[in-house]
Parts: sequence; structure tokens; C-alpha cells
Amino acid sequence: MDKTLVQELKEEIIEVLNLEEMKPEDIDASAPLFGEGLGLDSIDALELIVLMEKNYGIKLKNASEGKEIFRSIEIMADYISKNRTK
Amino acid sequence: MKNDELYIQRAIRITSTDVFINGTPFAINKEENSTWLTCIYRTLGVQYPKFFKMDNLCKAGFLATELIFKGTDIRPEEEKRDWSILLFNKSSSLDNDQLYQETINDPNNYFPSPSVFVYTLSNIVTGEMAIRNKIMGETCSYITEKFDADVLLENASIGLSQEKGIHHLLIGWVEYLNDHCDVLLFLVDRKSDGALTSWNKTNIEKYFFIPLQPHDEL
Repeated sequence: MDKTLVQELKEEIIEVLNLEEMKPEDIDASAPLFGEGLGLDSIDALELIVLMEKNYGIKLKNASEGKEIFRSIEIMADYISKNRTK
Repeated sequence: MKNDELYIQRAIRITSTDVFINGTPFAINKEENSTWLTCIYRTLGVQYPKFFKMDNLCKAGFLATELIFKGTDIRPEEEKRDWSILLFNKSSSLDNDQLYQETINDPNNYFPSPSVFVYTLSNIVTGEMAIRNKIMGETCSYITEKFDADVLLENASIGLSQEKGIHHLLIGWVEYLNDHCDVLLFLVDRKSDGALTSWNKTNIEKYFFIPLQPHDEL
């Protein structure tokens, strides 16, 4: 697992999702992003799709792909490292 | 219903520098690197992470409601079926609309932000206030040219519709644009016992034109 990318993702997610009370170390990279984990909602999911395209050049073909990719930060980092174009 | 049958129970004023509860200054702990609205939020000790996702207009309305209930026995988590919200402002959601525009200005860096887009309507503030406090009655927001006590005065009796079983009304002016915060929120109902004062033009203006406090810069 790319620890630098995981850390980078934590920082980006805190910024774009306005998780102002959280620090990167508060986020468990293996915990679910939605539901019982960070408790993100559907708008946050859309914002993560924008983040993937804007920062890593990854354009998801359909939003349902996000359900698998956004299961945790670790899974997201793994997907990004394999598919990034920038 | 006549306006002389209505009473102000609580009055909250928030400007860009001051907060008043029922006309009395309320001290805010100012923190460097935090916005004025975040300082108010932290001073109140509220735990509501969604606050940080809101646009400034919603934050201002949210905080005014928190201040309305501060020191009362009204709890946010209690259902309020006989409550309504009626707000007015001048700039609609323009403060946030400008932020959204920034995300779509550049064709070469075109990434419309969903989380900013959802706040590009001025009535979202009434929704955030209603969700937080389980207010089940009608919520409305109107855009007017300027603060006008007469408009608030006339519309309170409509908002407090006895036909619809509404007994409590949050009514006021919630305006935010370019770091300029201008909020006046009242809790109005028909109970004279323990009321702050009567619902009339003189009293509405008294709480709006309240003298601001001298400030030292940070």
C-alpha cells in the first residue's frame, strides 16, 4: 500500500468534504467511508468522484463504480495507484 | 390574527462583529485562523459536524437558531410539529453562488462542485434550520430589497397560522454576502407570560438597530 498516497488522500478528503474537526490521524484508512465510518453522504460521494478526476485524472464511467472504489481510503488509494493519469 | 396578540419570546442579532441575545451582548471567543461564524459555533460548544459543510448563509441561520434556543428547555431533537420558519434577505444565496461560479469559470479547469452547488438556493437555510431542530411546519424564504420591520410584522400573523395549528414562529432577516453578516431572528408566539416584549414595529427595529460594541483587533 502506498502510504504517501493514503496520507495525501486523507488530507484531500478532509479539505474537499469540509471535515474541519478531523485530522488525518483520526481517519482509519481501512474503515468504511460511508455509513458507520466517516458517515459521508451522497453529496460527499459526488465530491469524491470530482476529486478523482481533478487530482488524478480518473473519470469514473458511472457513479455506481464509486460504491466499490470508495469502500475505504485503502481501497481508493489502491484504485488510484493503478489507474491514475496524473 | 392581529399583531398585538403576538409576542417576542427571543431575539437574536448577529452582525459581522457582534452577537446579541435578547439585546444583551454575547461574548464570542475569537480564534485566529477561524472565521467569525466558526468562532460563534465553537463558543456555543455545539457538536454538529454538518455545520462545516454548510454555506455561510446556512451557517448564519443555523447559529441564530442555536442562539434562540440557548438557555431554554427547547431541545433540537424534540419534534416541533407546530413550528414554522419564515425568513427574508436581500442577497439570496449570492455569497455561495459566487463560490460555485469559481468552480466553473475556467473551461480548462472545469470541476463543478456538487457540495457547493447544493447551497445555491436561498431557501436551503430554512431546511438546515428545520432539519437540525425537527421543525415540521412550513418553511419559507423571501428576497426583499432591504430589511423592513413592516414586512416582518405583517407576515408573522400569516406564519402563525391557527388553521394549520402553528403556535411558534422563527421569523427574521438572515443575510450574508462577502463576509458581511446581518442576522435578526425572532421566536414569536401568542404567549404573553414570560415574553420578552410585544410584536410591533418599534420593538422589531429596536433589536435590529442595536448599537454595536467597541472592538479591539485580533
